[in-house]
Amino acid sequence: MKINARIAYTGALFLVVLCGAGLMKPTPRTLKVPEGWPAPNKNLFSKNPLTEEGFQLGRKLFHDGNLSKDGYVSCASCHQQFAGFSTFDHDVSHGVNNTFTTRNAPTLANMAWHSAFHWDGGVNHIEVQAVSPITAHNEMGETLENVIAKLNADSSYPPLFKAAFGNETINSQRLLKALAQYTGSLVSANSKYDKVKRGEAVFSNVEQKGYEIFKAHCATCHKEPLFTDLTYRNNGLPLNRFNDVGRMAITGKKEDSLKFKVPTLRNIQVSYPYMHDGSIFSIPQVIDHYSGGIQKDQYTLDPVLKNGIAITQRQKYELMYFLFTLTDSTFLKDPAYGMPTY
Amino acid sequence: MKPCITSFGILLLVVLSVLNTTGQTHGTLKFTLIHTANGKPVELNTTTYNTPNGEEYTIKKLRYYFSNFKFPDNPTLEDADNYQLIDQARSTSFSIPVLPGKYTHIEWLLGIDSLRHCSGAQEGALDPMNDMFWTWNTGYVVFKLDGTSTSSTADRNRIEHHIGGFRFGQNVSTLLSFELPNDRPLEITAGKTTEITLHLNLDRYWKSKETILIAREPVCTVPDALARKIASNFPYLFEIEDIKVHEN
Repeated sequence: MKINARIAYTGALFLVVLCGAGLMKPTPRTLKVPEGWPAPNKNLFSKNPLTEEGFQLGRKLFHDGNLSKDGYVSCASCHQQFAGFSTFDHDVSHGVNNTFTTRNAPTLANMAWHSAFHWDGGVNHIEVQAVSPITAHNEMGETLENVIAKLNADSSYPPLFKAAFGNETINSQRLLKALAQYTGSLVSANSKYDKVKRGEAVFSNVEQKGYEIFKAHCATCHKEPLFTDLTYRNNGLPLNRFNDVGRMAITGKKEDSLKFKVPTLRNIQVSYPYMHDGSIFSIPQVIDHYSGGIQKDQYTLDPVLKNGIAITQRQKYELMYFLFTLTDSTFLKDPAYGMPTY
Repeated sequence: MKPCITSFGILLLVVLSVLNTTGQTHGTLKFTLIHTANGKPVELNTTTYNTPNGEEYTIKKLRYYFSNFKFPDNPTLEDADNYQLIDQARSTSFSIPVLPGKYTHIEWLLGIDSLRHCSGAQEGALDPMNDMFWTWNTGYVVFKLDGTSTSSTADRNRIEHHIGGFRFGQNVSTLLSFELPNDRPLEITAGKTTEITLHLNLDRYWKSKETILIAREPVCTVPDALARKIASNFPYLFEIEDIKVHEN
């Protein structure tokens, strides 16, 4: 495995060098759509053809602290691979100058199936998503002008931009398109659940019972195989200390108050704490919220939660063991998504 | 085989020569913008103006987008890919190529079409670095007027009008449509520049269809009902002051 990874790195490096020398055009890369899955968002790469060089550039940018004002905060600081690309063990994340964000960093997996981004869906295209964290004062706190100046001053970048886009010009569009190639390529589809679906593994007794409970009570919103139906719903959490009204801030509609995008449950075991504000720490506590903690006086509360979810103590743990089968250790450790060595 | 190559070569030459001359078959339409407020030319930071509603103010930033130029006399001529940022501090004129002809009707968008709002990272006039882009709720500020006013109750007496919004019910981009007299059409000649001088009268920004009071509405930075109200004055902001053909 290790040797394979090294060969892959060397190969990628070789490709990049060749392209840098102008000897090759970027190598097309295909997004692997798992069998039986719906088609990904067709607008995602329609004006940003996925290439090996574009992906590798995006991967390097994603892990580069120079995209932030203090040089330390990279995209990967808050989107850690081992935590399913969320911030491990943090309710909210750290920005530059000891600032805090006001929402829990969402996991990044299977973004190619999404058409809107952020907890409130305020960002309408994956390419423009990164402008938000790069420029937010409580995230990376930087300007696009400075990022571009720093990338131009780092001799490793111009050849990579040339390899990906044909010449050494570094502009905001190329920066954003490269990042989108990387984030849009993160596919998690090799958990035990996926293996069971492919007939390569079987659920234990407890997991199977948990799956039945999941299908009966959770699958409407956390729709398979993405484990989100990509809608915005109020799941009965109280208005938090940031007065975060969620989707309403985007649409301006009262009926969207306290609605947030349904998060995927993939890799939930490693992406705690949970909810848009990270206010619930563990999976049993999340289930307790749905069985007894829902704020039923909220008029935008999702109709499917009006009566809460009736569940026994035993079923709670069966459900949890099913949720553990959504942990995709291949994805969490895949060196192809990790910090590049060049 | 050989005749095949020869005819391919001839075809290639024909195609290349056609491509080569398209530049010259177009004329240039140059837009020059004149900005005034209270009858005086707009100067950033240094001059104090009065709105028609009797409120004093200064201007720090004045920027807006034009796009989607169309010539209804010849509907095939639309150039949807043309996006222009007019910025008092940087550039108040721009040129677009137009096929020769006499046009009695010209229209374009003050703003940006919704399709381009949903198309990912852009460059040129639409580069997010132009400080006309909302990151938290994707979209462009299509008209920006920043300044100060003694009437403003906002922090540091500021005026911050960032007018944007493209979604259904939030759209502020406005079609500007100008009909020209038949005997004085807009004439575009190949290889020549026709200059159209447009006058933006900020008095109408504060008072035309709607009355916008700085005391009441000093800040508008989200795509909401106030943005729509301010944008309902957009059709009255501009008028054509002059059209002339340059002998170049």
